[in-house]
Amino acid sequence: MSVVMNRGEKGRHAARRTPGGTLFALVSHTVRMQFRSVIIWGAALGLYGAAMVASFTAIEGSAAQLNQLMEAYPKGMLEAFGVTDLGDPANYLHSQVFGLAPLALSFFPILALANAIAGAEERGTIDVLLGNPLPRWQLVAGNFLAVAVSLLGTCALVGLLTWGTAVLTGVELSLREVAEAVLNLWPVCLVFGALALLCSALFHRRGLAIAIPAFLLFGMYLIDTIGRASEDLEDWRPVSVFYYYGSAIENGIDWTHFGSITLVALGLSLLAALVFKQRDIYT
Amino acid sequence: MSLAIETEKLTKTYGRKARGIEDVDLAVEEGEVFGFLGPNGAGKTTTVRTLLGFLRPTGGRGEVFGLDIGKESVEIRARVGNLPGEFALEDKMTGEGLLKYFARLRGVGDLSYAHELSERLGAELHRPMRRLSRGNKQKIGLVQAMFHRPPLLMLDEPTGGLDPLVQEEFLDIIEEVRAEGRTVFFSSHNLAEVERVCDRVGIIRGGRLAAVETTETLIDKSFRHVALTFAEDVDKEPFEALSGVRDLKGDGKRISFTLYDDLDEMVKLAASHKLVNMEYERPSLEEVFLTYYERENGEER
Repeated sequence: MSVVMNRGEKGRHAARRTPGGTLFALVSHTVRMQFRSVIIWGAALGLYGAAMVASFTAIEGSAAQLNQLMEAYPKGMLEAFGVTDLGDPANYLHSQVFGLAPLALSFFPILALANAIAGAEERGTIDVLLGNPLPRWQLVAGNFLAVAVSLLGTCALVGLLTWGTAVLTGVELSLREVAEAVLNLWPVCLVFGALALLCSALFHRRGLAIAIPAFLLFGMYLIDTIGRASEDLEDWRPVSVFYYYGSAIENGIDWTHFGSITLVALGLSLLAALVFKQRDIYT
Repeated sequence: MSLAIETEKLTKTYGRKARGIEDVDLAVEEGEVFGFLGPNGAGKTTTVRTLLGFLRPTGGRGEVFGLDIGKESVEIRARVGNLPGEFALEDKMTGEGLLKYFARLRGVGDLSYAHELSERLGAELHRPMRRLSRGNKQKIGLVQAMFHRPPLLMLDEPTGGLDPLVQEEFLDIIEEVRAEGRTVFFSSHNLAEVERVCDRVGIIRGGRLAAVETTETLIDKSFRHVALTFAEDVDKEPFEALSGVRDLKGDGKRISFTLYDDLDEMVKLAASHKLVNMEYERPSLEEVFLTYYERENGEER
């Protein structure tokens, strides 16, 4: 364990961990505390994915008729929901699972990171925690990192349940396709979590730190979805994170978009750390 | 002797209406047990939270062990064990889990002192916080503040919710802390507790530090509730006429009053009758405050 000693005299010295040590302690503790949430979120979304894979075996045989039926639907609507060929398991899973999954899964980082500051202030736990030699920026960074790790674990569980079911039911879906699909969820969900962290740092109200990212999550989804079908909203699509999300299960991950969205999430967290450093802590 | 805490015109305001603290000049010496007293809302918690860097001062300056409260808050918190007045602990965690986590944050490898403190205070370390009573949470709050043997303890109402036996044990621990030369900054409403362990007290009211006194001086400035029971009826008027007697009640064999002055004359007068019983009660700290401030404002009764 790395320990530094500070300036001399009786009351003037204290042993404490190096900054990296406190950050590691915070991240590992927070990840452990989130373990149950990872299981619940991962199992819920993973079982939904598994159910959709299983349902594909039922429609696989009549895919041609279904596609014919789909042709009767407005083209814009099919584009909006990313439906191109229901006989293709990757397209089927994108339209039924991965196109919608960020709407649900984003609530895991939103709830966790709204709790990190504003939630701790409302519960009255923050004074005891910050009574330790923990810099404020580490509280922000540590929670962001912990949620990033937990979210990755959740995505992995979703992927395992989805791919495992595909193997068991004989649906043609490679591990790589599923892995890219679930990994592509990570930066999008993390952006909304980082937004919750910023709101948590700004407003010290947990309700606001949940409501604002949730509103933007659904707003951005609608802008992108309707923008695909309507020319009026098409120009607005680039302001939505979902515009850069794509369909990784079909086309693979667009690493430029993946990196850019991750950078936005990091930027929002940095902003949260700066804001939180300046303000009073309320209880 | 060097100072553990030093503030100069330390001010924290929350806006136009809400009161904080104003121009607080405080000097707490290393190795002393300092009682910080004041009614609710007087500014005790604001002072402590400003010293720990949770609140940004709007004026003045402060140092803890020579470290600036604005710029070196993390270094300060490495040297302080803090028990907030109003606090909660994570519901899902056990006391043991919390102590291990805080030990990792502080780089403390040995939890034997934490376990010793827990045993002495009777803290339940293996049940989740959500299943603990207020008193048990308070015990864990105390242990987490003290287990790393910090040079300075900042304890806000440390005995709230504790039963008398545990309060006694806690006060013994504070005396041990003093014997080790460590400093305690202690806020309490319990005058007996303050009298027993504090070397000096600071009194804050309306966000301003009204006085810093030794404990004896504070007690001397207080009054006593007196109740006298006689074998036969006595005339209450001579008692009413005594210097410092107020709020005299009763008639016949039993009289009661508040004595603000020397008790010598009162005892002599009582002794001139056949006295059956005499009750002589220490007032509550809140009552002492009221008297103290009335005197300070030149309204001596």
